[in-house]
Amino acid sequence: METVISTKNLFRTYNPDTIPVHAVNDVSITFGRGEFTAIVGPSGSGKTTLLNLIGGLDTPTSGSVEVNGTDVSHLKANKLIDFRLHNIGFVFQSYNLIPVLTAFENTGFIMLLQKASKEEREKRVMDLLEQVGLGDKAGSRPRELSGGQQQRVAVARALASRPQFVLADEPTANLDSVAASNLLDIMEKLNREEHVTFLFSTHDQRVIDRAYRVVTLEDGKVIRDENKRNG
Amino acid sequence: MLIKLAWRNIWRHRVRSGVLFAAIAIGVWAGVFTMAFYYGMSMQRLKTAIEKEISDLQVHHADFKKDYDLQFHIPEGDTLLDFLASQQGVKAVAGRTVSRAMISAARGSAGIMANGVFPEAEDRVTGLSKKLDTGAYFSTSRRNEILISTKTAHKLKLKQGSKAVLTLITQDGHLTSGAFRVAGLFKTTNGPYDELNVFVRQPDLNRLTGMGKGVNEIAVLLESHDDPDSVLAAVRQALPDLQVEAWSEIAPELNLLYEMTDFSSYIFIAIILLGLSFGIVNTMLMSVLERTRELGMIMALGMNKVRVFFMILLETLFLVFSGVPFGLLLAFITVEYTGRFGIDLSMFSDAISGFGYDAYIYPALQGYHYLAVIIMVATAAVLSSLFPARKALMLNPAESIRG
Repeated sequence: METVISTKNLFRTYNPDTIPVHAVNDVSITFGRGEFTAIVGPSGSGKTTLLNLIGGLDTPTSGSVEVNGTDVSHLKANKLIDFRLHNIGFVFQSYNLIPVLTAFENTGFIMLLQKASKEEREKRVMDLLEQVGLGDKAGSRPRELSGGQQQRVAVARALASRPQFVLADEPTANLDSVAASNLLDIMEKLNREEHVTFLFSTHDQRVIDRAYRVVTLEDGKVIRDENKRNG
Repeated sequence: MLIKLAWRNIWRHRVRSGVLFAAIAIGVWAGVFTMAFYYGMSMQRLKTAIEKEISDLQVHHADFKKDYDLQFHIPEGDTLLDFLASQQGVKAVAGRTVSRAMISAARGSAGIMANGVFPEAEDRVTGLSKKLDTGAYFSTSRRNEILISTKTAHKLKLKQGSKAVLTLITQDGHLTSGAFRVAGLFKTTNGPYDELNVFVRQPDLNRLTGMGKGVNEIAVLLESHDDPDSVLAAVRQALPDLQVEAWSEIAPELNLLYEMTDFSSYIFIAIILLGLSFGIVNTMLMSVLERTRELGMIMALGMNKVRVFFMILLETLFLVFSGVPFGLLLAFITVEYTGRFGIDLSMFSDAISGFGYDAYIYPALQGYHYLAVIIMVATAAVLSSLFPARKALMLNPAESIRG
């Protein structure tokens, strides 16, 4: 499988001059194209920090993160923002839609930043909203949508820019079981049909059960890496 | 997209934005109306000074104004009056004999400026007959009639028909005096002017001073007061040996008053905007701090700092300029109404006439004043957006999303 993401001797240390806390401690790991991977571990194990480092939202204390051969840990701020815009989709725990924009506008937000043409944007956004089952909610604002629907819009938004991979930080944490199951169905379908790579950080057993690969972190270190497809 | 987002963002908190709109509208209205009040007041003073007192241009012998010496009169005054009257843009001209003098009555005396005038010409240039409060405007054929102000009459206990004596120095430097009968009392909006000037017929004054038919001052009223420079240049070129002055040189304090009033109006508006700026900064800062997670999220998604900065800037501009049109409209209506009907300050007329102002003020503004206010407000809005925008730019996306 083609490698999309690789980290080498990755460290993220908070308070290095006082009481150092190694949120990510010497992590070297690779993720291939089309993976559907859950990063699990107890609270404070470094799941979100690892995702932030991979997504270029945080800078490693040492080590490197390469995405498609680009060392994102050494990109300058503006290049990093541009890199994120064109290569990474994000799904956050608390939906994080823009409340003044409709589902359609939220989904097309990244494509607008990418300066995609109106025709292309409208087609892609409607296509994605249909795929996540919200074609009839395109004109609704976030407050008019349920939590599960908002998170589905967030998934559609993450995919709108056709990213290399999607990073999802606890995507089902605030959803009931039905909504969580629906969301996982959609993401699994997109992974299967569009070969989108998904990396989740999660506590949720429902996500862990659906993931093809489960990476377990503890105290910032990878203590287990289980590929369920290979047994 | 930024425009749509910024516009919708300012409507998230309608009450908070509404309070700021109202503050901005009232601030702009107050600033613009105050500007109009002072501008109208100074323009009225300027117009009155030009049309009723000093005229647009004055011509003197080059040495006359050094000591107001009567020997320095204007040669061939009659020819010169005809020449000036024929110039393009000239509405009326009047020759005068002007002399420092003392007016005496049984109850006292006062230093004054005796103006020997040709009644009809003077009326065309300064509208002297319309200033009369009581009495008649040189209507009889009697010699030695004098018009004094009501203030001077009150001071010297004179009334219409009373006798007063003018004492002055002749062209040869001798002291002389003559008795005059008060034919009328005049009153203007300029207290100091009233106290200083008396008017007699030019031949009567010239008989006393021994000046024959000469005049030592020619006042020129122009069709338009806006651009005296072209007529001034033509007259100066034609009369190189005489002193030709525009109103701004005759009364530089008027020019200073006009410029200072305009300038101080802008300072006043700047102070109002400074006060409003704190409100704008506060509102925008609250808006940014409330949206920390959202701003972090859009930066994480790929919105760069330039776009974030412009979004905050646009929000500030929208917030401010939603209130400005109401303020300007309110100010325009107020200025038009009060400019037509005036603001009655007659209860302070004694005090304000001491500075030469009318008891009725007619606020006025030019188009450039409104434009200047809009530019000042825009500048205040841009400056007010910098601190909140900086706060937004300093957000760390990862930390902000975590909350």
